[in-house]
Amino acid sequence: MSITLRGVSKQFGEFAAVDDVDLDIPTGALLALLGPSGCGKTTLLRIIAGLEAPERGQVLFDGRDATLWPIRDRKVGFVFQNYALFRHMSVFDNVAFGLKVKARRERPPSAEIRRKVQSLLELVQLDWAGDRYPSQLSGGQKQRVALARALAVDPEVLLLDEPFGALDAQVRHELRRWLRRLHTELKFTSIFVTHDQQEAIEVADTIVVLNRGRIEQSGIPGDVYDLPRSAYVHRFLGQVNELRVQWHEGRAHIGPIDITGDPALDSYGSDRIALIRPHEIDVGGEAVGWLATVRDVRVIGPIVRLELCADGRPPNEPLEAEVSRERFDLERFHIGQRVGVRFRRWQVYPTGALGGGGLGGITRASAPREAVVA
Amino acid sequence: MMESPTVLRDYNAPAARSLRERDPARGVRWGRFALIAVALTFMAAFLFLPLLVVFTQALAKGAGAYLAAVSDPMAWAAIKLTLMVAAIAVPMNLVFGVVSAWTITKFQFRGKSTLITLIDLPFAVSPVIAGLTYILIFGAHGWFGAYLQAHDIRIVFAVPGIVLATIFVTFPFVARELIPVMQAQGKDDEETALSLGANGWQVFWHVTLPNIRWGLLYGVLLCNARAMGEFGAVSVVSGHIRGLTNTMPLHVEILYNEYNYAAAFAVASLLALLALLTLAGKSFLEWRQPELRHGARLKRRNSEK
Repeated sequence: MSITLRGVSKQFGEFAAVDDVDLDIPTGALLALLGPSGCGKTTLLRIIAGLEAPERGQVLFDGRDATLWPIRDRKVGFVFQNYALFRHMSVFDNVAFGLKVKARRERPPSAEIRRKVQSLLELVQLDWAGDRYPSQLSGGQKQRVALARALAVDPEVLLLDEPFGALDAQVRHELRRWLRRLHTELKFTSIFVTHDQQEAIEVADTIVVLNRGRIEQSGIPGDVYDLPRSAYVHRFLGQVNELRVQWHEGRAHIGPIDITGDPALDSYGSDRIALIRPHEIDVGGEAVGWLATVRDVRVIGPIVRLELCADGRPPNEPLEAEVSRERFDLERFHIGQRVGVRFRRWQVYPTGALGGGGLGGITRASAPREAVVA
Repeated sequence: MMESPTVLRDYNAPAARSLRERDPARGVRWGRFALIAVALTFMAAFLFLPLLVVFTQALAKGAGAYLAAVSDPMAWAAIKLTLMVAAIAVPMNLVFGVVSAWTITKFQFRGKSTLITLIDLPFAVSPVIAGLTYILIFGAHGWFGAYLQAHDIRIVFAVPGIVLATIFVTFPFVARELIPVMQAQGKDDEETALSLGANGWQVFWHVTLPNIRWGLLYGVLLCNARAMGEFGAVSVVSGHIRGLTNTMPLHVEILYNEYNYAAAFAVASLLALLALLTLAGKSFLEWRQPELRHGARLKRRNSEK
């Protein structure tokens, strides 16, 4: 089922939780609503589910206006952050619930219910747990029961609110992959809410970054990561180093690096900021580029994170750089070492956009700049 | 938890013994004993002793006098009236309580905090005043007095008045018990059930009710205990007509004022027995619950590990 949102808005008192959102979600999409807490992502999900009514705008299911449809008629499976399993029912009865509450003439015979629940439990690899109670299951198992229960009524849309939020890293990783596989197999439309950019990038086909109830940017994960349209998105999708653009004798610099001519620098002296991701920084043992002192070295599996105190920058604002393990093994960076820093890539934004989209419409930034090797 | 054998052996070593004597938890242990002692003494003095007094006084003049007092027709009438009043008031408050707790916890609306305050009103107001308000409304000189008299409907100084007063006084028990429980549980379970296609009644019956049943049971028991034991409000509206509008607590008072202590305590002991029976009933229900038993079994299994 395809879902279309048109000018959807929802207020909570003075607070605009969702503010004039337009969104097209094609059939079979696996979409992540991404943003920090309070950005309206859960409210948007609940509006799609029919758990919350929008004040303005329309929700269309397959082109039909579903704004006022009750949740029962939407063919939507909703999985809550805390799973909301029925504590007093066994796992089997939890999964069977949606089938057992059907009106008599639609309800499958009990043998059929039994068969279906059993196959769903097999699908989520919990066929052994049918007569267990939720309190006897781990977080990951509960999550899978909640999914099986939602799938029992053959939903055309699966909505998941922070599905992996309460799980430990190992289980989370496993469940993400499992959800992706499930989605590919069953081909329903899935929308999930998360505040974890890595999760969104890893699982979703499309990510929608929300800020203060508005869509800041949407697209396929790689594009949004590589071409963020605002400083807000840039910062939200991963680590960034922030450097204020300095003007000196008609030329613009970040540190000692001359970036004059960047299209985002539309007028002389304009207040701009450059964002650079840690892996976009080149660190070399030889003294070229911006000189800096290594302050900390963290080996994190395949990558090594360096904290650098660049000359002329306040010591409490270190640069963070990431180099590959291979490069690290070659160069053997160590604390106190003097190194040369170069930026492979950066992107310039108006500083007004720092708070994210809230201040006027000039948040669109230039395309990212590749450094010209002199 | 199993302690490993090495740890056990170490405990017998001299060094370990002196360590044990300097057990850092020793002070805590004394504190625990003291607290338990205080609690038990308090319970013995204020809960167990009165109960004991009721039963010894009731049987002070022998079993014959006890049976005579209990089987007195006036006493019987009081017992029947009390049970009847409770049988009407408790189910009504059960429904009111569930409905108001549901309304307050699952919906947002204007005047919600006023409603919560109003639910507490019967606790805040003295029962005597509650009784008097009913006299003012339904009494001969009250608002509806003339109308009621004209149509020969008796409310005050009759059973309906007693039922009304009892409902008023016991109103908060169920709602007060349920509101925190339902607030803590939130709406997720209900919303999930709705998304799975359940209708409102199915949601209530299969999801909400099982979630709140212990709070509900407890509220009903408290409500019932108070309904059977209510004195003040009922005393005002009853008119104390022996054999007609006398409930058990009122009957006890009359007997007591007539210096008929043994009989007074005999009826009082019946009230106490009813209270003990409701408590026993609650324990029985808890014991019969399969998943509670199951929980206990789990706990046992874990402690054996």
